[in-house]
Amino acid sequence: MRVAPTLEGGLRIDPETAEDWHILRAILLDANGSETDLATRLGGMVTDERIAEDWRDFVVPDLRESFSDDLNQIQAAIETAAAFPKDGESPIWITREDAFSWYGALNQARLALEEKYGFGPDPESDPANLSPIRREALLRSQFYCALQSFILRHAL
Amino acid sequence: MPETTTLTETKTHVSPQPPWNVIVHDDPVNLMAYVTYVLMKIFGYNENYATKLMLQVHQQGLSIVWSGELEKAEFYVQQLQFHQLKTSLEQAE
Repeated sequence: MRVAPTLEGGLRIDPETAEDWHILRAILLDANGSETDLATRLGGMVTDERIAEDWRDFVVPDLRESFSDDLNQIQAAIETAAAFPKDGESPIWITREDAFSWYGALNQARLALEEKYGFGPDPESDPANLSPIRREALLRSQFYCALQSFILRHAL
Repeated sequence: MPETTTLTETKTHVSPQPPWNVIVHDDPVNLMAYVTYVLMKIFGYNENYATKLMLQVHQQGLSIVWSGELEKAEFYVQQLQFHQLKTSLEQAE
């Protein structure tokens, strides 16, 4: 997979193999893999009884909708690119306008993986010592993090 | 005898409500540069101050990033949560 900045201040992702498409589609699967959704977890941070109920009733649904929109947007971008290749290429474009949705979706995926596997800020140095499932999850998390850094540097 | 006027001044002391603190908590996922970027974007802080707050979050586990009236504090917490930062809201003691 190639990822490069564009002259317009965005990014272009060029998946080159089936594995590349697999890891891009895994963003959605990982982001939806959490037992408690992100909106509920964040909403639970507001605990003062004078405001907590309103927060649950009014803010958390908005957060949930916004996070879901991010995932839907990047799913559409990935599947549209996959369905309509041009001259043998299927680039995925991340414009400045899309950048926050991409960043947020990747964050949701990393948060869910972190919740499930508990890698911590300094995960095991040698992935070879991990079980295959855990190793794959760690590598996906590291890929998502690298893509986030790229988005932050070039598109946000 | 001249008339005299007595002026009475009444002073009312109202204790101000304690401010509400907007608190950002550390988490193992959000990138340090992203936290700085969000603090600059939402509060309009300059990069140095936003970085200082971000480092507090990273090193001490949390940072009070803004204090003031409830309505504004709620707005800021909502914005920070939309940006997926772990944020709580507490009234100062």
